[in-house]
Amino acid sequence: MSSKQVIGLAAGMAAGLVATGAIAQQRTLVVSNFAVSQDLLRKDLYAPFEAKCNCKVVLDVGNAADRLAKLEARKANPEADVAVLADFSALEAARKDLIEPIDVSKLPNFAKLYDIAKDPIGKNYGVGYTFYATSIVYRKDKIDVTSWTDLWSPKLKNRIALPNITTTQGPLLLFMVNRALNGATPDFATGVDKIAGMKGDIVTFYERAAQLTQLFQQEEIYATVTGRFNWPLIAKLNMPIAWAQPKEGLTGGLNVLTIVKGSKNRDLAYEFINEWLSTEAQTRIANDLIDSPANREVKLEPQIADALTYGEETAKSLHVIPPDQVLANRDSWLAGWNSKIAR
Amino acid sequence: MFADRRIGLALAAPAMLFVGLAFLLPVGILLSESLHAPSGWTLSRYITFFTDPLSLEVTLRTLRLGIGVTIVSAIIGYVAALAIVEAGPQTRGRMTALFVLPMMISPVARTYAWIVLLGRTGLINKAVVGLGLSDEPLRLLFTETAVFIGLLQLFLPLMVLSLTSALENLPADVIPAARVLGAGWLTIFFRVILPLTREGLIVGGTLVFTGAVTAYITPAVLGGAKVLMLETLLYQRVSVANDIATASVIAAILIAMSIVTHSLIRRMTGMRRAA
Repeated sequence: MSSKQVIGLAAGMAAGLVATGAIAQQRTLVVSNFAVSQDLLRKDLYAPFEAKCNCKVVLDVGNAADRLAKLEARKANPEADVAVLADFSALEAARKDLIEPIDVSKLPNFAKLYDIAKDPIGKNYGVGYTFYATSIVYRKDKIDVTSWTDLWSPKLKNRIALPNITTTQGPLLLFMVNRALNGATPDFATGVDKIAGMKGDIVTFYERAAQLTQLFQQEEIYATVTGRFNWPLIAKLNMPIAWAQPKEGLTGGLNVLTIVKGSKNRDLAYEFINEWLSTEAQTRIANDLIDSPANREVKLEPQIADALTYGEETAKSLHVIPPDQVLANRDSWLAGWNSKIAR
Repeated sequence: MFADRRIGLALAAPAMLFVGLAFLLPVGILLSESLHAPSGWTLSRYITFFTDPLSLEVTLRTLRLGIGVTIVSAIIGYVAALAIVEAGPQTRGRMTALFVLPMMISPVARTYAWIVLLGRTGLINKAVVGLGLSDEPLRLLFTETAVFIGLLQLFLPLMVLSLTSALENLPADVIPAARVLGAGWLTIFFRVILPLTREGLIVGGTLVFTGAVTAYITPAVLGGAKVLMLETLLYQRVSVANDIATASVIAAILIAMSIVTHSLIRRMTGMRRAA
């Protein structure tokens, strides 16, 4: 047998083995994701999944705007298979025909999700894998916060920082202020006017959550509005700081998993999403404080649960801005904010 | 230096090529981007930018802070540089080191230090309240004052160093000569020192102004969203809105500001000499 024939035979055998799945075939699943906590996600999710699927998970990380642009550029010949997005970004992607509806009957773990996570953007374009609450965090020795209207209490004059419109928390702030004042329009005009009227009393409109710990520590502020994901950092300050349960409820956000339209690894994508929603993966991810679980079967130690947005009650009390309202109005929120508040 | 000019050119070619490809070309693309719309060449992006009240306010604030920091650093700089030049060689070295040392510390660290110093419970407010200048701690953080202080501290060394080297080249006897002829200190400064050190002032002024209007960390950390400057607005446009078009307009404005200021300082100091 010539060496050529040997190689040919070996290649043929290898191909046969690959076809029967007998050896590790290196299929790759490309996941477009946010850049945060990737090391921990590799340990808690990608590595265990790779062991099961005999495939390789390759990541394409970046902010939502960049990744959406990439999906759009590669529309004809998509590179990514799964895209991890905020609910409204996923709706934007769906409208641009960049992602496809998910057949949830192929996801055994789908039934374990909280209702809020099941079909947040409609037509099963995305399944929620995590959500977070946003509320007021305050110095309980200085003020008692029971309502979103406490944000303009005289006690907080010159002692409050609010999220800037450029952060994910900015629109949530406007949403709840608008709601507390019975503002009816989706452009949050009532909320914008209220914040504009008190802007002189606000220490700063923060853009990086890491700033908040310093502001609390230096007693620059007694209160702020932020997501639950920042709570562990703030709680670590060992100051009398509490997480408010305002009577109007909490707001928050939801992230979803989507399948890129024209994915060449659709079967793997379904397996991957099902794995991410599994009780085991969601528990590992929660215990590393990466994301709050959307799977209602996840059981957490009180200490872990406290650092996350956890439980049926919390999930039910969240007022999330409907994704279509975000898409239809975010330009007008920005314009309203820039003309009345930022100046 | 080289008998054959071609050798000189050949030696300069790598550096020129690098500057051309890595700097001039991208800047050219950036500037043309700001003048280009899907419909063709247009000034519409600039018109939109300057008719937006927020952008206009941010541009004026950037100019105001840039000019303010340049003028104040020139005043402090001349005083410091005169002191350095007058001192003995050993003291001179130590004083120069004092001004150079902060430049070796990361601007991020220096800027963060100001958050502590300018805070409500910080050193400055403790002094203000302790001296009875105010009953309440002042709100200094996230104000234009905070950004001004931060920028001044950041760029003052550049001015001091430029002026020191200019003053070192000043002939030792021109000031005594002017005194003997009956000139007052102001006259000496404007008629003798300034014209003879104008190159140092031009270099220092351009460095300070350009640095101040293009600084990002200081306005972002000490000013925040309430005291936007062009650079922080640019970052916001790119990272949040993915609005490269407006960002390129802002970049073009910043470049224009630096060039105009450079020639203005050159002309103003030049006119003094002619007068």
